[in-house]
Amino acid sequence: MKLWNGQREKRDYKAAMAFLMPNFIGFLIFTAGPVLLSLYMSFTNWSLKPAVELEWVGLRNYTDLLSDGDFWFYFYNTVYFMIGIPFTVAGSLFLANLLVDEMRIKAVSARHSMAILTAVVGVITSGFMAIMGWYDAALLIGVLFLGAFFGVLFGAVTYRTMFYVPNFASGVATIVLWVQIFNPDAGLANNLLSFFLPEGTPLPTWLASSQNLLGFIPQPAHFNNGGFGLGAREAIMIMGFWMGIGGNNMILYIASISSIPKSLYEAADIDGAGAFSKFWHITVPSVAPTTFFITIMATIAGLQGGFQFAKIMTDGGPAGMTTTLAYYIYVAGFEELKLGYASAVAWVMFIIIFMMTLINWKYGNRRTESAT
Amino acid sequence: MFYKLRQSTEWRIFLMFLKFFLVTLLAAVMFIPFIWMVCTAFKPSSEVESFHFIPKMAQPENIAVVLKMVKDPFSHKYLNVNLIKWVFNSIFVASWVTALQVTTSSLAAFAFSRIRWKGRDKVFILYLSTMMIPAMVLTIPRFQVMVSMNLVNCYAGLIIPMAFSAFGTFMLRQFMLGIPLSYDEAAEIDGANWQQIYLDVILPLAKPGLITLSIFTFLGNYKNLLWPLVMIKSEHLRTVPIGLLSFQGAYSKQTEYMMAAALICILPLIILFIFMQKKLIRGINIGGGVKG
Repeated sequence: MKLWNGQREKRDYKAAMAFLMPNFIGFLIFTAGPVLLSLYMSFTNWSLKPAVELEWVGLRNYTDLLSDGDFWFYFYNTVYFMIGIPFTVAGSLFLANLLVDEMRIKAVSARHSMAILTAVVGVITSGFMAIMGWYDAALLIGVLFLGAFFGVLFGAVTYRTMFYVPNFASGVATIVLWVQIFNPDAGLANNLLSFFLPEGTPLPTWLASSQNLLGFIPQPAHFNNGGFGLGAREAIMIMGFWMGIGGNNMILYIASISSIPKSLYEAADIDGAGAFSKFWHITVPSVAPTTFFITIMATIAGLQGGFQFAKIMTDGGPAGMTTTLAYYIYVAGFEELKLGYASAVAWVMFIIIFMMTLINWKYGNRRTESAT
Repeated sequence: MFYKLRQSTEWRIFLMFLKFFLVTLLAAVMFIPFIWMVCTAFKPSSEVESFHFIPKMAQPENIAVVLKMVKDPFSHKYLNVNLIKWVFNSIFVASWVTALQVTTSSLAAFAFSRIRWKGRDKVFILYLSTMMIPAMVLTIPRFQVMVSMNLVNCYAGLIIPMAFSAFGTFMLRQFMLGIPLSYDEAAEIDGANWQQIYLDVILPLAKPGLITLSIFTFLGNYKNLLWPLVMIKSEHLRTVPIGLLSFQGAYSKQTEYMMAAALICILPLIILFIFMQKKLIRGINIGGGVKG
């Protein structure tokens, strides 16, 4: 019996190794190895310039960056962008709370006739506006009624899909789209603002402006603060809100809300609670573990984020206002070719993220598993 | 009195109308950037700065100009872009990465979830601990590794480092752990060896997990900006993100061309999304939405 066990163990071990090897070799070469190499590099003056001799510099990169004013400026920028997180998370929860019901009229025939009614009213309204020559209004009303038509027909699925699309399509193409939206002359953002604001009001120049919402706070001179107002940082945050609100967070919240026992809401109904107080006293506390998970994940993503936005929208400008740590690492490493110094910055960033992860494990592990 | 009103059918129907109206309005607002993109892509350059969505004179030639089918009417030259090639490169690279990564990940996940062996949990924790390492930390040394392997500036350099994923292994392992062990035992009694259990029992059962990982991997690599930016020098290797970036560098003043190009690059994603929508949303709940 013992021999059989030993043989089986050996056979299993061999099989396991065979299954693991393709992945494990790649893991060693492209993940584990580079991590160690990166740590080593951060203690050297490793450079892509052939003229620089490789030298062990000890902790000098780290002491340099801690006394480097730019590093603290870019760290502040990175944290600044996290102002957007509470808004995005709250927005996701709000949307999830709206879309958690199926939103379908139960009787099929009633549903179909409602959908047809919506379509007919939409075509008539939109068509009337087009005949009157109000083309823009006709277009927007048409889109509205199209959404309503599918919404009545398929219920919440339609809306979940519509809110998810910006997240799914996000990438260089959508960022390029937003660059043009924030174009001070031709862009949609200022077109809308000039429509609502009284004529002659100065409009923000968005991506070229170093104004920001915390601009009224006194800051060190090298933070290049342009005063209170809407600037490049806000432009990026507005775009981030658009991309993030209907994404994975909303879907996690929908799953989380739909697992709240219905009896809680029924009990609240008997007590005469209104919709808002049900939301505030039942939904919000019940999804707290999900909120914790989402917030931590968003913070971790925020700490290492901002590279794409900086690279495509602003080149880190104006005056370094939108350079985050991630973009700084890229610039220091691949544009200034100081790989050693860039590695040191990367490791500092990693240590901060590591601490966030520890907090997540310590306080959120058990609860998030039940939530997700 | 108010309580009675809240219970009445009319009030409920009114609330439902209100909710439909509100949600539709919000969804439409979310779509305005896309609508603006489509409208602007068809505007002549004289109308780009106008407030109106619908141009007085639509100019569908913009699309043809961006696709290099017609010359730019202003400079009388073809634009220095190659959208079709970019999209092809992106799809080519992302498909290879997806195929390789899903294969290696599912093999390793099988070893981590179905077979018992000494040291399994320790190796797995090693994998897990690398998952929180930021991409930026890895990019610099990975680049050095690629330089030493002489794989810079070629397709292989874009594909191979992405073919192994701790995240993919983790996700598929979690998924495979949910399959009851009795399936393996039943197959073993029927005389199946580990390869057969993997191919005939586990892979078919893990299909939803495999599909989810495939979508995320494909999407992530189709849109990846950082790694190609570091690896690619030649024009013929440009993927969509790199290509669009260079396009923006050259023609950012011509909003209508930028929007036409963005439209063409977003379209494949929207089509993919429409086909994958149901599986994707189910998959996000499986995967915990860790990677987006």
